Amino acid sequence: MNLQQLIKQLANDSTESLSWFLPEIVLCAVIMLLLLVRLFDGKQRLDLWFVAIAGSVVSFLFSQPWLVCGGGVERTEIFTGLLVIDGFTIAVRSIILLFLVLFLVFTKISGIPDSDDSPDIYTLVFGATLGMCLMVSSNHLLMIFLAIEMASVPSYALAGMLKGRKRGSEAALKYAIYGAGAAGVMLYGISLLAGLTSSAHLPTIALQLAENLGTMSGSEQLVLVLSGLLISVGLAFKLSAVPFHFWAPDVFHGSCAEVNAFLSIASKAAALGLLVRIGIGVGYVPGLEQEVAQDVEAGPAVVAGLLPVAEEAIEPIEDSVEQEVTVNEALQPVRDFIGKLIALLAMITCTFGNLAAYSQTNIKRLLAYSTIAHAGYMMMAIAPLMSSLGSDYGVAEGALSGLLLYIVVYVFMNLGAFAVVAFLRNYIASEEIADYSGMIRSRPYIVICLVLALFSLVGLPPLAGFLGKFAVFASIADAFRATDATYLLVLLLVGGVNTALSLYYYLRVAKIMVMEEPAEGVDIEQYPKAGLEAVYLVAITLPTALLIFFWNPVHAYVVDAVKALIS
Amino acid sequence: MGILAAVNRVYWHEFFFMLFAGISVVFAVCVLLTQNIVRMAFYLVLSLGSTAGLFFLAGAEFVGAMQLMIYVGGTLVLLIFGVMLTAQQRYVKMNTHPTDWVLATIVGGSLLVLLIGAAAGVDSWKDASASKKALAELDVDDARTATPLGLALTGVRVDKLDSDDPALANGQSGYLLPFIIVSVHLLVVLIGAAYMARTKRSATAPVGRAERARLNIMQMEHETDDVVYSASKQSSSSLLDSDQSQAEESTDEAQE
Amino acid sequence: MFGLEITPVIAAITVSHYLIVGAILFVIGAVCMATKRNALGILMGIELVLNGANINFIAFGSPYLRDDNLGLDGQLISLFVIVLAAAEAAVALAIALNFYNNHNTIDIDRADELKG
Repeated sequence: MNLQQLIKQLANDSTESLSWFLPEIVLCAVIMLLLLVRLFDGKQRLDLWFVAIAGSVVSFLFSQPWLVCGGGVERTEIFTGLLVIDGFTIAVRSIILLFLVLFLVFTKISGIPDSDDSPDIYTLVFGATLGMCLMVSSNHLLMIFLAIEMASVPSYALAGMLKGRKRGSEAALKYAIYGAGAAGVMLYGISLLAGLTSSAHLPTIALQLAENLGTMSGSEQLVLVLSGLLISVGLAFKLSAVPFHFWAPDVFHGSCAEVNAFLSIASKAAALGLLVRIGIGVGYVPGLEQEVAQDVEAGPAVVAGLLPVAEEAIEPIEDSVEQEVTVNEALQPVRDFIGKLIALLAMITCTFGNLAAYSQTNIKRLLAYSTIAHAGYMMMAIAPLMSSLGSDYGVAEGALSGLLLYIVVYVFMNLGAFAVVAFLRNYIASEEIADYSGMIRSRPYIVICLVLALFSLVGLPPLAGFLGKFAVFASIADAFRATDATYLLVLLLVGGVNTALSLYYYLRVAKIMVMEEPAEGVDIEQYPKAGLEAVYLVAITLPTALLIFFWNPVHAYVVDAVKALIS
Repeated sequence: MGILAAVNRVYWHEFFFMLFAGISVVFAVCVLLTQNIVRMAFYLVLSLGSTAGLFFLAGAEFVGAMQLMIYVGGTLVLLIFGVMLTAQQRYVKMNTHPTDWVLATIVGGSLLVLLIGAAAGVDSWKDASASKKALAELDVDDARTATPLGLALTGVRVDKLDSDDPALANGQSGYLLPFIIVSVHLLVVLIGAAYMARTKRSATAPVGRAERARLNIMQMEHETDDVVYSASKQSSSSLLDSDQSQAEESTDEAQE
Repeated sequence: MFGLEITPVIAAITVSHYLIVGAILFVIGAVCMATKRNALGILMGIELVLNGANINFIAFGSPYLRDDNLGLDGQLISLFVIVLAAAEAAVALAIALNFYNNHNTIDIDRADELKG
């Protein structure tokens, strides 16, 4: 292949890739606009919020969430294999961008950031969102690290958004230092993995592992396990999974509720997407069975290149379908390792988050521990995915669609909770749970919305949280029936016990707000009645309350989204 | 003459490797052991500088140069600025708790044993004949320069086109996307850094919902608006003047 | 002549040698992060960790050490790591300055308002 051919190939590949990359391009354009508009707007008359909200809506539309209906999106590698686009990418990316739209409306209503700071803050928000979009489509070790950095570094600054405050700056410093440390440790793990497999491209790594796993020496296996553990440090930090959760309560307490919502929802969704990407990326080689059909026309060089590789790498077998089974069977130990590690982390995370939430008196700390616990629930869905990926596609798809459903539900219920915290702070200047007592008398809409959000976080039927949890637990049960692995049963039990555990501390907040007398010294009547706030909260809470009536189309959507991913 | 050249080359490679590795490791240990933040920064410069030497030895000349220019010349100078801007006394000393040391030594030591054991245990990594062969076969005229790197950053990979292993030849990605996207990242990060470092603009009289929200946050910390504003303004203008900052802190605490 | 008499005292340099240097820098950086109380000291520990990883990438990608290597990926990834480290340091430093403005110290142990 000569240079001219290479350049031609690159030009084709880049042009094709750009059409999948439009949401990210729009985000970049908004970042530029937020800078440039200020140049020509000397007196700062224009509210740049309108630029931001328009950009986020356009970006959401370009993410084309409707494409996955009917399972119409094939797995496509873009930008010479750096990124991968499939139904899962599109769905999670759309969720993140939809959250961005809701988040911007939320910040406008709650009034933080003020008009002085908002251009800079929105730039940071868009930069972090760009990183999150890359996280869910990463297919390459460099892109994984780059995307995590792009999502994290602006978040550090966001945590210290209110600058004159001691607590805010402390939160930002802690977040930045722990985050940078975790990223460094993760990078070291990435370097070991890349060195062992002599590649940075995830499917190539998977093929190399499939080829070499059987003949690996003890120290090579040690290196592999070490690299897996070191990489999981970085991911666990992003997910706020125990034992790398310690930053979350402090950061959530120190930064304002708006930033909490961003960190708690968008960041978690992206981290889970990345976890799935890595798990499937190194534990499974998709699309091998399409060898014959796709051979010639597959655009990116990498996809075309993989197929003959599999032929040579694995002992010669005529039938291509059997061949796929061989590669993916060889990767079973890798999947088991990832699945068990995540199951273990999920169980500890969930239990710890729920137990630690008991003694909290500050609503933001309580929601921080609740976020940790929910990260645990969502990680649980990955264990059945990894355990049945090579053997039972139905179960694996069920697990992945359950995770997706949980993420959708989680966006609405958690955003509702944090929005209430921010609005109440604007009224009563307090985030202590005790000060919320008797709030139902003066702010009934807001309190009802918070109570619904909290009930949904517990997972009480018929609210959306129940449906999400049910989907995840059902997939674990299915995987247990299919594989008979004991750890899945334990996982299921721990999940059930935790749901019961969490009931108490969520209900305590609801009880204080509804049943108790108003606190003394909190004079709520001096502030205007909730107007826009109530409208926004109702709009956010309605999907949580009414999901059960739209269960079928939503469920069909998430099932479609994961269809082309693994089978 | 050929043998002489070959022996000399192998010898010097090892000599310089040991030299750079030694400097790098010794000064890294110094960074760890010193309690003086200014010295720490200086040792770090030496350690990372000789790491660049290791990069040169391994044939990554361009990365080595970038290590010297960006890392040593940029990032570390930035850190040293940070040290200067936040220095409270003439020499900042931060003593570590002895128990921290014991714990860190035990955990770090076992991690080190594990990692070195792993690194030195893999056969294909410790195969001395492979590196001798690779060095002997190396054609100096064909040695890698920055050209393939530059091509890769524009998306074209020219290395390993004729590799024996098709998996490796094909799992090659052009780095056009990260090259472009990292510039957006740098822009965002610079805006973020500038935002964090500058004092809050308060020229406009804030009214309405936003101001109420901010005031409420201040109130939660029992700090009045005036104190916070004046403190953040003055302390940044007199960063190096520790006495004044100290005085401000005491008023700050008195107000609280 | 002169060079012929001196036989190399050490075995040829291999990937493992580089990895050992990288591992030492990584562990020293990690211990640095754990023991330093100064926020800037912790940042310096992080720089050491990133450099340990970079040495690994360079060694795995080096054409001088192994035929079957990571190729240019190693050098390219370490270039990006250098850039990302610079960006991270810039933000972390701005945050540390902001912390200093509010607390008049960068001792991380003084960051203790958030507990519970």
